[in-house]
Amino acid sequence: MSQTLAYQFNRLLRGSVPFAITVLLALMSVVPIGISGYAIVTPSFAAISVFYWSIHRPYLMGAPLCFVLGLLSDFLTGAPLGLSSFLYLLIHAIAVSQRRIFIGKAFVLTWFGYFLIAFIIAILSWIIACLYSLAILPLTPILVQYALSLLVFPLFAWGFGMLQNNLLRLT
Amino acid sequence: MAPRQGKVFKLAWPLKTIIQRSAFLALISLAIALLFLGKANIGVVEKMRTTATDFLAPILATISEPVDAFHKGVARVQKLTSLIEENERLREENARLLKWQAAGRTLEQENENFRQLLNALSDPLVLPITARVVGDSGGPFVRTLLLNAGRRDGVRVGQAVVAPLGLVGRIAEVGERSARVLLLTDLNSRIPVVMEKSRHKGILVGDNSSSPLLDFLPTNAKVAPGDRVVTSGDGGMLPAGRPIGFVSSVTERGIRVQAYADWTRLEYVSVLRYDLPGMSSPDMNPGDLGESRLDAK
Repeated sequence: MSQTLAYQFNRLLRGSVPFAITVLLALMSVVPIGISGYAIVTPSFAAISVFYWSIHRPYLMGAPLCFVLGLLSDFLTGAPLGLSSFLYLLIHAIAVSQRRIFIGKAFVLTWFGYFLIAFIIAILSWIIACLYSLAILPLTPILVQYALSLLVFPLFAWGFGMLQNNLLRLT
Repeated sequence: MAPRQGKVFKLAWPLKTIIQRSAFLALISLAIALLFLGKANIGVVEKMRTTATDFLAPILATISEPVDAFHKGVARVQKLTSLIEENERLREENARLLKWQAAGRTLEQENENFRQLLNALSDPLVLPITARVVGDSGGPFVRTLLLNAGRRDGVRVGQAVVAPLGLVGRIAEVGERSARVLLLTDLNSRIPVVMEKSRHKGILVGDNSSSPLLDFLPTNAKVAPGDRVVTSGDGGMLPAGRPIGFVSSVTERGIRVQAYADWTRLEYVSVLRYDLPGMSSPDMNPGDLGESRLDAK
């Protein structure tokens, strides 16, 4: 009995890794680094994580978790509350519906998928932010952020892949 | 966690999809509702934000500790390479500043004498609260900072936040032990300013770009690049005469101001507790020294 309990606990811990890692990434993205202008164009690490896990372990990165993660990022960054939740939910929905295309294919395809989805999300977030503040916001920082996210994506995907192979093989 | 494959599961599959879909839609609607509630400035949303930042600020403070240490180490190594030049430069600067100090002392005394002669009211006391920056905006939509000082330290909404070189912004939200600073570059930032020389008053309007717009100047005001811009103290929340920046460009589309503050090196900032006797309510801006936890020391 105790063995099964320990097993269940182990499973639960391993299962919460995607969520925990995304929380950590959301926290890391607001830590002041001290690079000029970096604060504005910090890649959205949490969005990358949501995208990756929605493809590879959708049941460990469900819609409610995406919502909570979005709230967390908005609390951290001071962005309009609900904005990131909305965007993460969209990323999640698109990724889950298209995951058959990405699973088991070359990594480049996933990267390309992120290239498309993140672009849609960037433009959409810009439109929402403009509507929210009733002003035309500068588009450049958003595009730079998008480009940076795209650049760091392989690195994160590689790290997540390692985690997935070592910790989450059984889940 | 993995969906268990079985007969029951197969039967329940459509039901599960329906539940998942509706949950997804509910969450999307909730997110949109939150956006609207936030836009409507409902107190609940702000309360949620401040509670969350109160909880998150200590965690961020812990995480940023090693980053700060690393950053300091790098800066130290960088300084080591230019030690001699730096020393030479500082010596010269010190000699120059000593002259200025002498001049400043004389002027201060003279000013004090004139004040006494005219029986002029002196400026109210400004008390700085030093707070650590534990979070930056981390995204393109807002220009904010998160501080690890809050209401219990005497921080209130509206107070000025200054870095060593100049004004950074104002306090926008206050929790019990955390506060959010709206930087003067943020879209929602409006700061009453005055041109240091000509004494023309205006408003510094942030627009999410790196150099905010100087607006609402009188039409006859003459402005040239390089003119210094300081706080005017209008509105009673900010002390007058604090340096903000200099005019960087004057075009037909507007006057741009470059802030003095070094945005990359905001590790610690001062929140200015400032009280105009009889003008600000103690709840908004405490002048009572006994209240703050910091003053107990």
